[in-house]
Amino acid sequence: MAVVACFALVSTSGCSKKAVQSGGDTQSSQEKTAKGGSSDEAKSGVGTFPDTSMQSGGGSGLRGLDKNPSEERVSPGNGTMLAKADSSASLGRQLEEVRAEQAASAAAGLRDVYFSYDSWMISEDGRQVLSRDAEWMKSNPSSAIKVEGHCDERGTSAYNLVLGEKRAKAVRNYLVELGVSANRLSVVSYGKERPFCGEHAEACYQENRRGHLVVRSGK
Amino acid sequence: MNRRILVSIVVGGICAVAGAIGILESGAADVFLEATRPDFQKIPLGVVSIENNGGPEWLGGRLEEVLKKDVKRSLVFELMDLPSLGIKVRDVGNGLGNGSKAVFKQAADNGVSVLVWGKAGLKKGEKEDDVNMEGFVYDSGSDEVVGGKRYAGSPSVVRLMAHRFADELVFRYTGEPGIARTKIAYVSAQGAARELFVMDYDGYDARQLTADGFLNLMPRWSPDRRFLVFTAYRDRNTQDIDMIELATGKRWTLVSYGGLNITPALSPDGNFLAFASSHEGNSEIYRLDTRTKAVQRLTTNPAGELSPTWSPTGRELAFVSDRGGGPQVFLMSSDGSNVRRLTFEGDYNAAPAWSPRGNWIAYVCRTPRKEYKLCVISPDGQKRMQLTTGGGVDDSPSWSPDGRHLVFSSTADGKSHIYMIDADGKDLERLTFEGTHNSAPTWSPAS
Repeated sequence: MAVVACFALVSTSGCSKKAVQSGGDTQSSQEKTAKGGSSDEAKSGVGTFPDTSMQSGGGSGLRGLDKNPSEERVSPGNGTMLAKADSSASLGRQLEEVRAEQAASAAAGLRDVYFSYDSWMISEDGRQVLSRDAEWMKSNPSSAIKVEGHCDERGTSAYNLVLGEKRAKAVRNYLVELGVSANRLSVVSYGKERPFCGEHAEACYQENRRGHLVVRSGK
Repeated sequence: MNRRILVSIVVGGICAVAGAIGILESGAADVFLEATRPDFQKIPLGVVSIENNGGPEWLGGRLEEVLKKDVKRSLVFELMDLPSLGIKVRDVGNGLGNGSKAVFKQAADNGVSVLVWGKAGLKKGEKEDDVNMEGFVYDSGSDEVVGGKRYAGSPSVVRLMAHRFADELVFRYTGEPGIARTKIAYVSAQGAARELFVMDYDGYDARQLTADGFLNLMPRWSPDRRFLVFTAYRDRNTQDIDMIELATGKRWTLVSYGGLNITPALSPDGNFLAFASSHEGNSEIYRLDTRTKAVQRLTTNPAGELSPTWSPTGRELAFVSDRGGGPQVFLMSSDGSNVRRLTFEGDYNAAPAWSPRGNWIAYVCRTPRKEYKLCVISPDGQKRMQLTTGGGVDDSPSWSPDGRHLVFSSTADGKSHIYMIDADGKDLERLTFEGTHNSAPTWSPAS
């Protein structure tokens, strides 16, 4: 029926090998490498695109009113079929690794840096905290540190990712100034998406505006 | 404005034999209207009823309720309250009897242009029973039953039948496909993780798409509605832009530069992906040719640039830059030339969304009271309007494909939930009620 007609292209959408390795939730059907060629992708950091343009003649699926209507079969999805979410192996592993990192960071006694509203400047308090953190990092030279940038719930989700990165980079840059090797320090912004505190109040907002230091597990 | 149309919907098990409908012929031409003009007058439409005809007790009422809400949300029709006009009949049958003639006259005399009625029932199937629905339309302008629809399907598609019928009504009177069958993709918290979901445009039938246990953010539809592009975190430590195919759940990485890889948006023709990345230092906007994979950097500025949104022609982009301190909305040609600032009011304007009709750009504006609300501005900067008021943080506006509504997230009721509002700021409607956090809604193209 017309309703189902849009799925003809499903089988043509390929996935690169690289995507399979990086995606975590591997499916065997993803193994085929589409036209792009995975070696180019590895260099460029760009994966495979299917054709996503509106298919000509696809139309609205509407047939108009009819004086003598014939029966139309209505099927679930109506052109937007949804696969059931596959709870990937990634889910359990992520939770486990987050716990491991939290334990390692707590054992190291690393302290976090807090920021003012809309700001990524490191305060005097923040400098003192980072000086002590830097001492630990220097006396534990094999540790790899991740600096997470976090924001409070005010402002847009997207702009807070930029703000969170500015905060994380400000922390990393100051640690480098203090003599910590830059290649031990990675940064990541979580914007307002992984808050420490969920109330709509300044005390909570302050908790969430931070550079959070994590001892990375594994490599 | 002497347009009188009665729409009737007959939904039903019995009316399946269409022979009786032979009388319905006429030469009435379809009427096409520009339904977004400010002087557009909504077409008065009455839904008589969807009578139950052998189905479960709830069936007719459910269809009628969904249909009426769709008709109202279409903003093409004005839903008339028939009983208050003295029209208390619930069963117009097949619209051919003398009784129905009297109803049609009464409707026409009371300014109802379109009258709709129907029947719904169950049909014995091999494995499970089928629901079927029949709907008919009387048009008072041509004083005739102009046609109808017959649908059949499993009981799980009852709402969808009403949505399809509503879209047929919109299609007949505007030539547009309607929005009742569109979907909204969004982000929902599952514990500390954020996963992608898709629901019907009215908030029903939510389905989970990702389940990787970390952050999946800012989904955007492909023009053909078969895919979403979004930001994901690989192993928590790095960001990618991923693509997921809705029908299969297949998922892969499109962009994996170092640093931020955020706010992806496919061009209306699907040939380009615009996104923001910080791999060359600070966040800048890039444009990727999806066929050649050539990547072009569009902005060069020590400030942060993000959130590109395409004009409906694909010739321009609106985006956010904090080159002046706080974030503001800017415009540029899609090759990065001709950059100019669009928003000047307030010190924080972000998350722009260009209307599919081209005439407005919606965005989040911070008010003098430091509230984050929805605003719209015309692309020439001449007209500006604040759409929402009150407390709570509004975020992520996204237009309906007909340009008549916006969907957005707000913490107005405490937790972050998803709301719909008309483009003129009227008829705020909450769409999500489950869960602790729903955000980043994005409206699908029309099917």
